[in-house]
Amino acid sequence: MEKCKARIDSIYNGSAVDGKGLRCVIFFTGCNMRCGFCHNPETWTEKGNEITLSELVARIKRYKSYIKNGGVTLSGGEPFLQADFCKELIKALHQESISVIIETNGLICDRELIELCDGIRLDIKNQEREVDKRVFDFLNTCEEINKFVTLTNVLVPALNDTAEKLLKLKDIKEKYSCIKEVKFLAFRKLCESKYNRLNLPFTYEKYEEGSKADLQKAYDLLKF
Amino acid sequence: MKFEQWNGFKEGAWQDQIAVRDFINLNYTPYEGDKSFLAGPTERTKKVMDKVNKLLKKERDKGGVLDVDTKRVSGLLSYDAGYIDKNLDIIVGFQTDEPLKRGVNPFGGIRMARQACEAYGYKLSDGIEENFKYSTTHNDGVFSVYTDEMRAARKVGILTGLPDAYGRGRIIGDYRRVALYGVDYLIEQKKADKVRYGKNDMSEENIKQLEELSQQIKALEDLKGMAQIYGFDISQPANTAKEAIQWLYFGYLAAIKEQNGAAMSLGRTSTFLDIYIQRDMEKGILTEEQAQELMDDFVIKLRLSRQLRTPEYNDLFGGDPTWTTESVGGMTNDGRTLVTKNSFRVLNTLYTLGSAPEPNLTILWSDKLPDNFKKFCAQVSIDTDSIQYENDDLMRPMYGDDYAIACCVSAMQVGKQMQFFGARCNLAKLLLLTLNGGKDENYGMQVAPEGKQFNGKLDYNEVMQAFDKYCSWMSRLYINTLNVIHRMHDKYAYEKIQMALHDTEVTRFMACGVAGLSVIADSLSAIKYAEVTPIYGESGLITDFEIKGDFPKYGNDDDRVDSIAVDVLTRFSNELKKTPTYRDSQHTLSALTITSNVVYGKKTGSTPDGRKKGEPFAPGANPMHNRETSGALASLNSVSKLPYNCCQDGISNTFSILPNALGENMDKRVDNLSDMLNGYFENGGHHLNVNVLDREKLVVAMENPEMYPNITIRVSGYAVNFHKLSKPQQLEVLKRTYHGEM
Repeated sequence: MEKCKARIDSIYNGSAVDGKGLRCVIFFTGCNMRCGFCHNPETWTEKGNEITLSELVARIKRYKSYIKNGGVTLSGGEPFLQADFCKELIKALHQESISVIIETNGLICDRELIELCDGIRLDIKNQEREVDKRVFDFLNTCEEINKFVTLTNVLVPALNDTAEKLLKLKDIKEKYSCIKEVKFLAFRKLCESKYNRLNLPFTYEKYEEGSKADLQKAYDLLKF
Repeated sequence: MKFEQWNGFKEGAWQDQIAVRDFINLNYTPYEGDKSFLAGPTERTKKVMDKVNKLLKKERDKGGVLDVDTKRVSGLLSYDAGYIDKNLDIIVGFQTDEPLKRGVNPFGGIRMARQACEAYGYKLSDGIEENFKYSTTHNDGVFSVYTDEMRAARKVGILTGLPDAYGRGRIIGDYRRVALYGVDYLIEQKKADKVRYGKNDMSEENIKQLEELSQQIKALEDLKGMAQIYGFDISQPANTAKEAIQWLYFGYLAAIKEQNGAAMSLGRTSTFLDIYIQRDMEKGILTEEQAQELMDDFVIKLRLSRQLRTPEYNDLFGGDPTWTTESVGGMTNDGRTLVTKNSFRVLNTLYTLGSAPEPNLTILWSDKLPDNFKKFCAQVSIDTDSIQYENDDLMRPMYGDDYAIACCVSAMQVGKQMQFFGARCNLAKLLLLTLNGGKDENYGMQVAPEGKQFNGKLDYNEVMQAFDKYCSWMSRLYINTLNVIHRMHDKYAYEKIQMALHDTEVTRFMACGVAGLSVIADSLSAIKYAEVTPIYGESGLITDFEIKGDFPKYGNDDDRVDSIAVDVLTRFSNELKKTPTYRDSQHTLSALTITSNVVYGKKTGSTPDGRKKGEPFAPGANPMHNRETSGALASLNSVSKLPYNCCQDGISNTFSILPNALGENMDKRVDNLSDMLNGYFENGGHHLNVNVLDREKLVVAMENPEMYPNITIRVSGYAVNFHKLSKPQQLEVLKRTYHGEM
């Protein structure tokens, strides 16, 4: 267990918005996408902080009493870039009866990891281009093993809240029965200060923030 | 012995001696269902609330005090009857002859009474001034004994909020006894005790006990007289639910007429009252609507309780609180829930009457509480920000299953234990005193014995060695100061009616406290893990610190610093126990500041954690503002490490979270808050104040009070109307960490 190591940015203990119930969210570092609207640009770098499996499990166990109805969310960055570690982590957490879901962009389809976890939150990136073909491979696998999938999608006004883009999303939802829910997240600029601190250009500065009304419009249009 | 008023109750030992717990245990009906049975307010209640709201507005418009009776000294028989509306009131009684008119209570100190009158544009009558020329007050007594050292510690503010000029409070009379036994039986019992004590040798303690018993008996006679003014004979037990509430309330009313203690808490009454309500319902003489109406009217009276305070007092205890704390829920020793339908009803008053800070509704949380009740509590928190939670599974093994909370977090068995309230010692200042060789950093006075001077970068071990010495000096001085205060309080302002509603043999606690826990923990962490060098001013005193590098901060579930907080508390607790206490009371300790964290900060120089001179401390045991960056649960975990066994007078934690961060809809928020409470208490946390609100809303409220006139928030062991806080207190609340989305 000591040899098994991961690179993470941080752990946030007590999120109620990253899956069911109260959750500990582990932010892995390293990303294969680096979207311009990303809320966690500090996780793009692969550097991060090294942590061993046993350290990480011990850390999470401190929160067992809170997360009985929730669990752990692996996020990032892209957790599938550190798939081997994630597999060991999930096995160890399952031994503690802690449920684990993964937030991913769906570009890396690791069947074993998908099988191991208790749910997938797949963030559909359709803001600037069409959905990447690899995402469908990922979804096909989820469908085969009937994995619980939540689609998330960051709504950027004028970019992907158009009827055209939303209807395409609806097609995806209808094609896969493993997709149990769709959640729209409003694009926010709260992260701008992080970009400044990291000396990274915040290319989405020009876009409007998504409002509650925008989200409602999207839900209404698709009647999810 | 048997009274006909007891018909229908299960018989037991409670009939042969005063044993309210036994009565409750045998007769109450646990309730595991949900809130759907609850009734709304009646037309009558709405009418009364309309009048109450108008009165409250008038009080606000007049600057916080509606009226003062400056001619009479407050007491059980001082005033005529008072009503909101004689035709509408169901439960009757006010402290004076009009609602919200404040009485004067000079027994704590005449100067305080005079200043309080003057602060609101009144003048204490010549009659009272003349009378008190010839009598000694508690304040006179204390200051006749205080040593120079005690005065200095008080002046520089290392000991602050000491009850040496006002009533000490934090004593809960067992007001249920009035309803269950009637006053005559209580008098009979006290008279029998007096005969018994009369047979002992007349030692000083025995003489004191006998004098107190005679004062108690007199107070019980006066209690009957007070009820008589309202046309009630309470010599016999209560016969109905309405009478039970009225009798019980008269007991409480007598206490707040006699005493102006900081915290005048109610106890644990709702499940007791449920037994009477249940009996009336079974007889077919009470409906659910009427039961709610009775509780509503009772709570309206409790909400209108007032004491006359000075502005300096309000700085320490902001928002005009009375700490009419009512403890709700919990479990019995044999594992049954003490939640009844009336536990729901008393919480429901926050809906039927609107949210309000008083009574200070305190949920005794157990893992085993019925799920329906847990969810209802969580819902009430989210809707009203008016209730607090304390760990029944932690306290029950120490206090049994009939304890209640006095003030914010102080547990005591009802009618069997009491405490000597001891305010608190400023630990951050104690550290600065250590670093300045015993001199106060602001006044330059040599407050403590001269000690080591520190030069250059601070060494953790050297600092701790010196701190130990000052800790032991401080502890001894602190206990001795409290001994003086409580000896004099017993002598000149004894709580006659409240102690009459206790067993004659009581257990006493000497309740010490600390402030600035997170400041000292982070400061010591900085000294240990970063490089801290003092900067000296012209006077040779430290004015600031140069801090190089980062250090672990309390509130992130980081054992390196959390263990420092634990260590400091344990050291201080152990040191306190070395000095004997007045009346052999047991040493206890709390980490609670009320709103005095603002004043403490004001009186404390810059600290090694980077906090600047004058900046507020975090309240109670809270981590410092916005230094918790690892999430809400990490912050809770840090606080839950503080050991209750050396901090048995309570560990207060005030927690604020944005509604959106708690879940995307109401159902999820309720579930998540309930999970959070379960987890915190399972991990050994003691107390949690919960606020679910947007900081932005408070900012708007601060600038436009008329938009949210009734905004209630939890501060430190109690709730306040946000607008009743001073501006610095409001700003401190805004500075706190609001756990939000990442």
